[in-house]
Amino acid sequence: MRTRLSRKLTLNILALGVFAFSVFPVYWMVLTAFKPTKEIQAETPSFFPTHVTFTHFSTAVNADGFWIFWRNSGLVAISAVLMSLLVACLAAYAVGRMKWKGRQAFILMVFIAQMTPWEALLIPMYVIARDTDMLDKLPMLTLIYFMMTLPFTIVTLRGFLNGIPVELEEAAQVDGCNQFQAFRRVVFPLLAPGLLSTSLFGFITAWNEFAFANLLIIKNQDQRTLPVWLSSFSNTFGTDWGATMAAATLFMLPVLLIFLVLQGRVTTGVAAGAVKG
Amino acid sequence: MAVAEAETTTAAPAPGTGTPVPARRGRPLWARVLPYLLVAPTVVGTAYLLVYPLVRNLLISVQKFGIAQLIRGGAEFVGIDNYRTILTDNKFWGVVGRTFVFTAINVGLIMVLATLVALLIGALGKWMRFAVMGGLVVAWAIPVIAATTVFQWLFQSQLGVVNWVLVALGFEQYDGKAWFADGNSTFAIVVLLIVWQSVPFAALTLYAAMTTVPKELSESAQIDGAGSVKTFALITFPILRPMFGLILCLEVIWVFKCFVQIWAISQGGPGDATLTLPVYAYQIAQSLNRYDLGAAISMVTVLILAVVLLAYFRQMFKEEGEL
Amino acid sequence: MKFRSLAVAAVAALSLTAVAACGSSDDKKDAAASGPTTIDVWLMKGSVSDDFLKRFEADFAASHPDVKANIQIQEWNGIGTKIIGALASKDAPDVIEVGNTQVAQYSASGGVKDLTDKKADLKGDDWIEGLAGPGLYEGKQYGIPYYAANRVVVYRKDLFQAAGVTPPKTRDEWIAATTKLNTGGNQGIYLPGQNFYVLSGFIWDEGGDLAVKEGDKWKGALSTPEALKGMDFYKQIQALGKGPKDSDEAKPTQTDVFAQGKVAQMIAVPGAAELIAQANPALKDKLGFFPIPGKTADKPGAVFTGGSDLIIPEASDGQDAAYTFIKELAGEKWQTDLAKTMKYVPNRTSLASAVGADEGVAAMAAGAANGKATPNSPNWAAVEAKNPIKEYQTKVLTGGDPAAAAKAADEIITQALNSK
Repeated sequence: MRTRLSRKLTLNILALGVFAFSVFPVYWMVLTAFKPTKEIQAETPSFFPTHVTFTHFSTAVNADGFWIFWRNSGLVAISAVLMSLLVACLAAYAVGRMKWKGRQAFILMVFIAQMTPWEALLIPMYVIARDTDMLDKLPMLTLIYFMMTLPFTIVTLRGFLNGIPVELEEAAQVDGCNQFQAFRRVVFPLLAPGLLSTSLFGFITAWNEFAFANLLIIKNQDQRTLPVWLSSFSNTFGTDWGATMAAATLFMLPVLLIFLVLQGRVTTGVAAGAVKG
Repeated sequence: MAVAEAETTTAAPAPGTGTPVPARRGRPLWARVLPYLLVAPTVVGTAYLLVYPLVRNLLISVQKFGIAQLIRGGAEFVGIDNYRTILTDNKFWGVVGRTFVFTAINVGLIMVLATLVALLIGALGKWMRFAVMGGLVVAWAIPVIAATTVFQWLFQSQLGVVNWVLVALGFEQYDGKAWFADGNSTFAIVVLLIVWQSVPFAALTLYAAMTTVPKELSESAQIDGAGSVKTFALITFPILRPMFGLILCLEVIWVFKCFVQIWAISQGGPGDATLTLPVYAYQIAQSLNRYDLGAAISMVTVLILAVVLLAYFRQMFKEEGEL
Repeated sequence: MKFRSLAVAAVAALSLTAVAACGSSDDKKDAAASGPTTIDVWLMKGSVSDDFLKRFEADFAASHPDVKANIQIQEWNGIGTKIIGALASKDAPDVIEVGNTQVAQYSASGGVKDLTDKKADLKGDDWIEGLAGPGLYEGKQYGIPYYAANRVVVYRKDLFQAAGVTPPKTRDEWIAATTKLNTGGNQGIYLPGQNFYVLSGFIWDEGGDLAVKEGDKWKGALSTPEALKGMDFYKQIQALGKGPKDSDEAKPTQTDVFAQGKVAQMIAVPGAAELIAQANPALKDKLGFFPIPGKTADKPGAVFTGGSDLIIPEASDGQDAAYTFIKELAGEKWQTDLAKTMKYVPNRTSLASAVGADEGVAAMAAGAANGKATPNSPNWAAVEAKNPIKEYQTKVLTGGDPAAAAKAADEIITQALNSK
């Protein structure tokens, strides 16, 4: 009894340590967002705000085109993630549940695709977009982000799929479902933890991406994405760090939201998976 | 007994995989074509958005291609001149070596810490688990510009929290210590930043994989008297191995290619202390607008990565063949 | 999460982005079809105030009804790549504001219109050297001077009074005054170790330079005796405060540090005073300015001329209208206004007196007469991107051997400037 309690205590202390280490820099960022400019570089650092100010948030929110940025980034990120999940599910199913010629080559191609040096493809991608008249167009960005997350999503879903016994689907088929219904009703919910990882990964990739968004959206101000907004608080004299940190805090919130929503479904999915035998 | 079962399963493919739907003679046409239809979007997408730009990149790497050619066209073919320029520059090999060391240190730390954190999450109660996972997501989601700036602030020589805390704890020599003036300390700070931002993804994905390990296996192992370390080594890890291998491979790729954080903090300096291959490529290509040299360096980087991961690819290819 | 709904959602989302994209480009087509020529003008964030811009736009629309100017404010972050993308595109903006240290690389690219024949029309002989020089490439004028600003010493009048010192006019006086001010918890001067603009000024005062051109080859000049003397003076004055030796004026933002109230002097453009006053209103009336002291009392210290030029991309389809815009913005009326409103140095030396009686701008104008720009090479942008001068400064300030460090930095500069 005593060892179990002390084990629980040690675990919880470790957990708090991990939590503190993960969160501290983020805490510092949020703290800065609420500190008046004068206190941001104070000689004695203050760990708790002595005076809380909302001016930085108001500067951040009142930036030119604020709502357009959010709309564009939202559309692009969500489309890219959904597209990549859809295409990856199809591909993972084909690889994990079917036997066909070229399967090995296909999965190898997907693995190699992970190594794509995206930063190096800035110029070639620009040239392609220019020649196909896709400059200044959001769908081009969506497609690029889709491609950035696709290999990882396929590989991860395949990995999770391999861990789910075929017997489950076969049992469902015995009960009268066809192949697809079996996949949808039995396997899909069990993929939930994998879907959480890959969705978060895809969303964060698309949400944070700056280089392509900066180069491929040129004249059309209405097509700019959020990372541009984040860096918009610098001017000729320097950077307004209070506003930048406030903007960064707001910038992070959707990711947290997605995590909360998906994690809730993951836990229910895993519980439902107790069907495993 | 259960431990013995687990030992046999390590030799065979991961438990529960079974065999996919076998190819029956005389399957209808649509069933035989179906797999190809399912992977068609991936293949098309990859061809247009990945292979085509890569081929374009290869083309640029054998041309003389700078800002003038980008604007006016007329890039002339120069064969392997760009590659020769890159590979004969004596700085290049130093940079490659440094990138290997950098990757090894980061990936080692990331994988060890991520595994420990994943195990920790698995052993926690519901609310603590949620809190820790939330903390990790927050570290993962923070925009790079905010993360690099905060890290620089934390390590500022006069006003940084780190120096302040160290001096408060009695280490007087850290009063006003200029962390970014010394190559090794800058390197350490960059490693800290990258490990801090990479562990969340690895830990969360490993944990997700751990949830698929049937509880009955580890429970019966414990009933049989196996301690936590043995349970991990003999039951959990073997099942997790594919996912572990995948994440290891991904982290190697991502850390090797890591650019934004290093550029924002030190631009590869001081001196060449944090000059890794991607930073060097940027310095040469974007700053000097020599896109041809940049393309050559990126092709060489991909080649190096492919060689490094060859063992992994072979293993994975074999695995896929067994399924 | 049903599979089918995933598929539907994905397709819907993609179509939405396509619709959003199509909508805006249709609008543009309609606008171009009728009426006046529309030009897109890129101006940098914060270089001019909203108030100035509004007045200029209204006046320009009234006096030039055949040209519709669509002004787009651009962010500094990533602007280099963005401009390259714009110059290389099929439909570029018509006027772009470019920093004077960056304009040479664009001139050399062939993507910018040669405006040498317009020089007389714009009174080009009167232009200040720090803006006109960088806009010149192989004898042709690509960049039209827009505005300039240089650094002065921003100081705390009350701290000076309390210490019994007056604004110094020579270097010796400056060191003496700063030493007196560097007591009692206050910093005599907050000078970060890596402010290479200030170092350039000190080097130029000694007769040296950052790099010199010998024939058609560049050579880094930090290891010359003159440049080493400049660095030595930098070391002396930097030590009279707690500026970080391993960082520049942006990390941390020096106005934020000054706003704490414990710093007596800082080297910045006069506009920085507004930022300080915003962060700490109590300091608003306590700020004064004087030109950076030179070696002798009759000539203020040399300063780095920062500022912007205006360029017209070759790929622009409204080049004549673009020139009309530039002529207006770079013309006497608006340059005078700019000087007064934004406290900048106007692009023509004959207009310098227009800046008026503002203390900060007067100090700036005094220094501007002795202003110089960075070496005029298309590759200078590469040197600034990974700056060996900053690393050289840190090495010397943390006890390294100046001559050896200078030589190392020179090699890097030489290699970068000479690469084709």
